[in-house]
Amino acid sequence: MSTLNMSRRQFLKTTGILGGGLVIGFSMTGCSSNELPIRLAPQGFVPNAFLQITPDNGIRFYCPRDEMGQGVTTGLGTLIGEELDVHPKNMEILFAGVHSDYKNPDFGVQGTGGSSSLKAHYLQLRQVGANTRGLLVAAAAQDLGVAAGAISTHDGHIVVAGKRYPYGQFVQTAATLEAPTEAPLKSNAEFRYIGQAFARVDAAAKSTGTAEFGIDIDIPNMHHAVVRRSPVAGAKLKSVDKTAALSMPGVTDVIEISSGVAVVAEKYWQAKTAAAKLAPVWAEVALSQVNSSDIRADYHQAMQQDEGVVDTDEGDIEAGLATADHIVEAEYWAPFLAHAPLEPMNAVVRIENGEADVWSGTQGIVAAQGLVSRFSGIPLEKVRAHNTYLDGAFGRRGTLTHVIEATEVAVASNKPIHLLWSREDDIQNGVYRPASLMKIKAGVKNDGSITAWQAKRVGGNITPKTLQNMMPALFPGLNDGTIDFMVGLSRDVFAGWMVDHASVEGLYEDYDTDNKTVNHVTVEHDIPLTFWRSVGHSYTSFAKEGITDELAEKAGMDPVAFRLRNTQGNPRLNNVIRVAQQHMLAMQPAEGRFLGFAAHHSFATDVAEIAEVSVVDKTIRVHKVTCIVDCGIAVNPDIVRAQMEGSVMFGLTAALYGDLELAQGAFQQSNFHDYPILKMHEAPQVEVIIIDSGTAPTGVGEPGLPPIAPAVASAVYQATGQRLRSLPLKIA
Amino acid sequence: MIEFTLNGQTVRTDDDPSTPLLWVVRDTFKLKGSKFGCGAGLCGACTMHIDNAAMRTCLMPISAVAGRQVTTIEGLGTLDNMHPLQTAWVEASVPQCGYCQSGQIMAAAALLKNNPSPTEADVDAAMSGNICRCGCYGRIKGTILNVAQQSLAHNAAQEQKA
Repeated sequence: MSTLNMSRRQFLKTTGILGGGLVIGFSMTGCSSNELPIRLAPQGFVPNAFLQITPDNGIRFYCPRDEMGQGVTTGLGTLIGEELDVHPKNMEILFAGVHSDYKNPDFGVQGTGGSSSLKAHYLQLRQVGANTRGLLVAAAAQDLGVAAGAISTHDGHIVVAGKRYPYGQFVQTAATLEAPTEAPLKSNAEFRYIGQAFARVDAAAKSTGTAEFGIDIDIPNMHHAVVRRSPVAGAKLKSVDKTAALSMPGVTDVIEISSGVAVVAEKYWQAKTAAAKLAPVWAEVALSQVNSSDIRADYHQAMQQDEGVVDTDEGDIEAGLATADHIVEAEYWAPFLAHAPLEPMNAVVRIENGEADVWSGTQGIVAAQGLVSRFSGIPLEKVRAHNTYLDGAFGRRGTLTHVIEATEVAVASNKPIHLLWSREDDIQNGVYRPASLMKIKAGVKNDGSITAWQAKRVGGNITPKTLQNMMPALFPGLNDGTIDFMVGLSRDVFAGWMVDHASVEGLYEDYDTDNKTVNHVTVEHDIPLTFWRSVGHSYTSFAKEGITDELAEKAGMDPVAFRLRNTQGNPRLNNVIRVAQQHMLAMQPAEGRFLGFAAHHSFATDVAEIAEVSVVDKTIRVHKVTCIVDCGIAVNPDIVRAQMEGSVMFGLTAALYGDLELAQGAFQQSNFHDYPILKMHEAPQVEVIIIDSGTAPTGVGEPGLPPIAPAVASAVYQATGQRLRSLPLKIA
Repeated sequence: MIEFTLNGQTVRTDDDPSTPLLWVVRDTFKLKGSKFGCGAGLCGACTMHIDNAAMRTCLMPISAVAGRQVTTIEGLGTLDNMHPLQTAWVEASVPQCGYCQSGQIMAAAALLKNNPSPTEADVDAAMSGNICRCGCYGRIKGTILNVAQQSLAHNAAQEQKA
């Protein structure tokens, strides 16, 4: 592969990116190369890390974020295309390789998540687009002998006196000029593509089976690997008799690796069949003795007996409770959940001549590069990491155990390896949304003011486990001992000194009160935990909105009016609730149907949802959901709608079905028959109302999820009089 | 050696007769559009047409398709020559991650072939075996109903002309 050398200084000079933290941030790997991972087309012009323009007017955009269905290729293509004046549908959009210029400006790491992409790249990619356009205009002015002021641009073309010249015509001259560093950006009123609801750029590939996912990678001499792992997380292989598997057709190797034992065969089905012949024996670990009932008992005991660590302490909670006319107090439960993205985990690793290639759909391809380097011993700069399309991911594809496995197998077998998990592996050997026991005690006056908000959460923390997964990937040079020490340190810090904010986010922030406390008790059972769509908000919203309904009832107020009264400190959330109230007042649910309401602020976005629900024979049916969202400028309103629709469905699956049960340390659910996903005939109609806004974009991929479970629970209360405080929702 | 028709072409394989059709199509014939999601016939990502009926292929052994007509998403339409459902899928921006969409489209195409004017309940029944984890159900359903309506209108117009 030919690559382009471009020093960091040159890059800064040509693009003049805004915001110091952006590219000046330290390199987490400590050895990032300055070579852009861009394949040069003949006479291709690469003005910066994000673009390549060819003389035949091919415009390639190297998308720095990962496309997992959230529409980031369309969204970021729109940002750069707006200022470059190229419609995203007329660009070739490629997934960027690993380079420090592709870091997520919000994270300082090349990763995708946290509903951050449009917000993080909003000014950066527009500035890159504007600077590049400025450069092309200067080149055209020179070549055509006209003043730059006489030139306008339109969809990949220079326009002079009504005549159109493709950008590609000027790239040779452009290459000799210096790009502007602060070309002016358009005002909102000048936007041509931002704010337009055109079709996603990846829709055709995804409707014809031609979008290439990690699982689809097929390279010469590729062998297939299937791994048997312990059903209990962290339990090592004690012994295995390899004979039966080795004698199966097509099998070439049976290899012990860090996570278990791998079978390698010429074809996947051969590997899968042979792996079933193995009867590995696993060591016992502490988790091997743990059942779901133990976890709940431990959480309850901690809730009662342990004060935990203080996250927030404002005002005087006791005084606040003392002035209340009514006090409500309740506990809420949310279970462990698997992400269950539809594409099971997979990776392809090829190691040849001291170099490596890795293909995998990830939420941070830099991590795949780091893991291959670490587990093969091949220097980072000799590991080429190729991102592909990935399924919804939902936080799951930030943990890349499958890349470690594929690397270990490729090294030991000396073959290019395609390693694939099964659905059972996915649900039983995954990384999970932490279970949570939450308790809120709150006071309210008869006038509807909240006098005190005392919240506490018991459960595991995602940050230490995430560090454990990410550090070996992001710091391939650090030895295991150092990583263990740092992970242990973070575990101790979050258990005893400070609160892992992801554990309590959303539990207390939204409503006005002078007196609030948030405490956290860490109780771990060695279950691997990680981000799961909307992270802490996925469970805190359920407790926070549930208790808010109860407060409203005590104060004798309508639950929506109560929320309006108590969001004076959050004007944008207040406005979303006000708009929702207008829609709700106009609704006339049919006989037997009830409306539930919830609102939540997460990822800098405000969302309110109204669920129309019936309960028949203890079955909860959600017929319609109306979603009101303020996410700043909706860069592509149709994609915002799609993300709200999808978040509602994802949240409903969790609200109605999502549950995992642990027996002797092993999760008992295994596939979609006992870990069901919402299906078409159960799916509500979703109407999305986007608040018109001129402010910079905020999160979209996750904020639609947190309100749905409490909105449905609220409707169930209207229907049955039952306050359901445990997820999934079950009518008593 | 098992012989069947794959997207109109006769193919032969010496894969073990118990191998599921999905893996023969993906690994032996290198058509990657049909996806693996559950391996248990529960999610529909592997849906293909076998003699015009939508079938889950992640469990179906190739011995069961000997001599039969198998159509995959690659045989339904291409980027340059899309099936009307695919065109409509793009216009409505149905896919999010897109992983399940081959299976969704194959299930929808079989439905419309056998029932050109489905009711909403017909669509629910035909599509309830296809999971979309991104939750694109509203768009999938709406698009199928639209395509059915357009094709009925188109046929009516053709008849009137004739």
